[in-house]
Amino acid sequence: MNGAERSEVGINWKKAADSAQLRSNVYGLLSTVFREEPTEALIHELRGPRLSGIFSDMGVELGEIFSSTSESAAAEALGLEFTRLFIGPGRHVSAHESVFAEMDGGTSSLWGRKTVEVKNFIETAGLDYQPEFTGIPDHVSVELEFMQKLTAWEAEKWTQQDRKSAEYCSTVQRLFLDQHLLCWLPQFCDAVMEQAELPFYRSMAELTRNYMEFESKGTQKSK
Amino acid sequence: MKKMNRRNFVKLAAASGTVMATGIGVSQNALAGSITMQEGGRDFSPITKKERQAIPSACWQCVTRDAMMGFVEDGRLVKLEGHPDSIRTLGKLCAKGQAGINHVYFPDRILYPMLRVGKRGEGKWKRISWDEALDLMASKLKPLLDAGTPELFMYQYGRHKGSQSSIMHDFMDAFGSHTIGTHTSVCEGPKWVGQESLWGGMYDNWDYDNTDFVVNFGSNQFETHTNHIPTSQRLISAMVDRNVPLYTFDVRLSNTAAKSTEWVPIKVGMDGLVMLSMVNVIMSEGLFRKDHLKYMRVSPDYHASDDEKIAAIKEHVAKFTPEFAEKESGVPADKIRMIARGYAGAKSACLITYRGTVMHYHGADQERAAMLLSAITNNLDRKGGRVMGVGAGWKSPHSPKARVQKGLDIVNGFPGEAAFPTHQVSQQNLPMIKDGQNGRPKVYWASCNNMAFINGNNKEAEAVLKDENLIPFYVNSNIVYDESSQYADLILPDVTYLERWDTEDMVSPTGIAEYYIRQPLIKPLGEARDQGEIFYGLAQRLGIELAYKTKEEYVRLSCDMTPGVREAGGFEYMKKHGVWHDKNAKPNFGFYEAKVDVSGDGVILDEKTGVYWNYKNAGVSEAEAKSKGYLGVDGAKSAYVAQDIEGTPRKAYPPNTSFTKSGLLDFYSDNFASRGFPAFPTYTPIPEHQKMGKDDLHLTTYKVAVHTHSRTAHCKWLSEIKHDNPAWINSKTAAERGIKDGDSIKVSSDIGEITTTAHVTEGIIPGIVAISHHFGRQHSGIYGSGKKSPTTVTATADPDAKNMWWDKFGTHPNTIIPNSSDPISGGQRWMDTVVRVAKA
Repeated sequence: MNGAERSEVGINWKKAADSAQLRSNVYGLLSTVFREEPTEALIHELRGPRLSGIFSDMGVELGEIFSSTSESAAAEALGLEFTRLFIGPGRHVSAHESVFAEMDGGTSSLWGRKTVEVKNFIETAGLDYQPEFTGIPDHVSVELEFMQKLTAWEAEKWTQQDRKSAEYCSTVQRLFLDQHLLCWLPQFCDAVMEQAELPFYRSMAELTRNYMEFESKGTQKSK
Repeated sequence: MKKMNRRNFVKLAAASGTVMATGIGVSQNALAGSITMQEGGRDFSPITKKERQAIPSACWQCVTRDAMMGFVEDGRLVKLEGHPDSIRTLGKLCAKGQAGINHVYFPDRILYPMLRVGKRGEGKWKRISWDEALDLMASKLKPLLDAGTPELFMYQYGRHKGSQSSIMHDFMDAFGSHTIGTHTSVCEGPKWVGQESLWGGMYDNWDYDNTDFVVNFGSNQFETHTNHIPTSQRLISAMVDRNVPLYTFDVRLSNTAAKSTEWVPIKVGMDGLVMLSMVNVIMSEGLFRKDHLKYMRVSPDYHASDDEKIAAIKEHVAKFTPEFAEKESGVPADKIRMIARGYAGAKSACLITYRGTVMHYHGADQERAAMLLSAITNNLDRKGGRVMGVGAGWKSPHSPKARVQKGLDIVNGFPGEAAFPTHQVSQQNLPMIKDGQNGRPKVYWASCNNMAFINGNNKEAEAVLKDENLIPFYVNSNIVYDESSQYADLILPDVTYLERWDTEDMVSPTGIAEYYIRQPLIKPLGEARDQGEIFYGLAQRLGIELAYKTKEEYVRLSCDMTPGVREAGGFEYMKKHGVWHDKNAKPNFGFYEAKVDVSGDGVILDEKTGVYWNYKNAGVSEAEAKSKGYLGVDGAKSAYVAQDIEGTPRKAYPPNTSFTKSGLLDFYSDNFASRGFPAFPTYTPIPEHQKMGKDDLHLTTYKVAVHTHSRTAHCKWLSEIKHDNPAWINSKTAAERGIKDGDSIKVSSDIGEITTTAHVTEGIIPGIVAISHHFGRQHSGIYGSGKKSPTTVTATADPDAKNMWWDKFGTHPNTIIPNSSDPISGGQRWMDTVVRVAKA
């Protein structure tokens, strides 16, 4: 056998696929949380039996709104909080990589060089931005959605026992984490935690921060 | 919160998966398509296209609206520069223009429709969809249509020109409301009214390319001007290449005065008097030229001879001797004589006047004095002189007008406030709403307008916007959260001009019109939307038919409808080139001399005025026309054909505005006389200034090169250059009050007091303070307002704010400047305030 044809005996395809899929699930949840105002349906699930126990275990505090009010009242209150925290007007957290990552010499702005890099990266991976998406290409929820899709694809490849593709995908994920997401998400989460008035986004930001730390250990291991 | 470890990650992820599987996700994924990856081994290399495109467009930072080029790379706007093919701008773009990029990408930009929650001014907002926003607006507008009261819908704009203006007027006509507020009266209204009483049109410009001598009253031409780049560079070329002298009369040493051959200090409000004194010198020393006399009316007699006209002018200006002018204005008599002789003796000469001259009591009349001085030296409408600006005449699509057309009479000031408010008295629009005697709109939509900042006594304007009882439903189209949008019920995210289509038409000083367009350099950010689309969205909901769906369509139709542009290639040509002018066009100097054919059916000569007019076009019989005469028939002025000039019918100066007049320059104005104003340009002392006490000072305001009135504060590069406005005060005046440079001072007027910093200088005449009006922002982002507290609504999302090295943000003078109108034109009297200044 030459070096390229390594033995694939002993790979637990299902375990590898499940692992990737689990990562995809978390990215999907976080992307949803930061994309837009939470819907009543999302609130229902967040405080439902599946997640509330885990949140409780982990010390993720969602706030009284989740336990004591109706879903519609919670959606209204969280909608206002989302607007104040991520949209404005006035002081808010502009959830874009170029705003956080390009702060030297007065260049911090929307649609910066980083935005172009992120867009090119995502498009090189074969994806397109939907015309109906009115956000900016390096919005936090887009970068998280991209990771969701990459990890889901990786899971699919493991399931198909296509090791080369799966591992290559893993490499691309690590590139994206190292060159983009991990460069700014910690500061973004810190800003959200500082400016949030309701516990929900404070907790989600802290959870995101913790998850990215967990992910970064994965990239360190692979170096 | 516990750190994430393998165990709790798995639990969280499993639960998330089940949640996601129920379909709870975002309403719309951002990304689509499938991932395609090369099989192992190859490096993942995102392609960076880096291809830079140059796209022609037009600036909007100020009314000059220069043609320009935008450079776009990877979908990002990276640079703005001048348009090399523009005959107006010759490839240049000022600092404001180049900083336009700051508008697009600043993180505090409003990108979504925002609905107020809680009380006005509480600062609580909810993001809503465009459908919800338009549904809400339509729900407020439909009842007005149903009740036959369209006038209760008011549109108030600040900077709208070109197609941004015409499309709005088209929509309002289709709706049926004439309640449209402008801003001209706080800008240069008196100048226009003064000129309209004479030559009909407005936007005077100057042929610096051919001039030999320039006199400037009250204009900071080199920093800020309605035709800034086109005119400034030509004046500088004239001075550098041909040694053309420039004399600047100003109360302070502006940067224009500093670059002039000589700065001539002059007292506040005295420009018109000095000009009349120059006329006195020119008439009495026989330096006048007769060429333009035949087009001038200087007495009640329409048929006076040249000699009679000369005698009349001499009589009118007899009392304005240089010695009298010196006593009032502080300008030495010898200086007045010297400059008058130079101006009259030059082969051609330009006379500039602007806000320093006209934003006064009787400012419109001071402008008339300027026109007189130009006319008697034959420096009006000819090469090298003061000329009419010539702009593009775009054709555009028109929607069907509503059957019911009405307007509230709340835009022309209080009853009796101004005699000829041909450009409104817009500083009184909100006070009129407060007063209520002529009704109040139910829906008030403000666009590119910030009354709560730019008005005199702006706090009063702010209070009206805040009051739901006065304005039940308030919509504000904006890109930034400012002093006015903070009180809106609904903020609509406007596109910046860099994301917009328009046809444009600002004047050329060279007498040849330039046709140019504005086109999106990038896709609008977020959900920002052009007015054109909003109008269409509303029209659909209201059952109104419009001739277009989008602004792009409006511009495309305009390009394909406009002669010249159409033949050049229409829309496609304009998209590619940005600018077009008729290469066969000749400058329109001397247009008034054009001979006119008066043989048409219905054309008669009015003996009294010498006007040829067409009674059929005026809708009257020949008998009525002859018995009532041109001046006696309503609407006759729209049927003007020509003026009899020494036996030849010539175009002359058609009355194309509100003033009924012949084709002669009405230096003797029956219009003015009929309203109790001096018929002939004269010197009228400003009332407040005659009653000033020993300790009283004048207060004037001014503009700086890097800011437009209020729209540029959030442009961080511009605010970095200029962010403070200390009060300029002469060293003598300061010493009398124990004030040193940098001291904190109180400046108080009859309506209020501000505390600011003194800038003690020799560069201003004694007896006044001058404070620039761009600063002292309450909102408009952190770079403008400096609001740093995390608890206030206006702190920033921009992490760049930590690079902000300045900590002064100025004090707004408008809080102590009263809303006060020129009784002739309704213009806001920015330069007439009397104040007291003391060390704080």
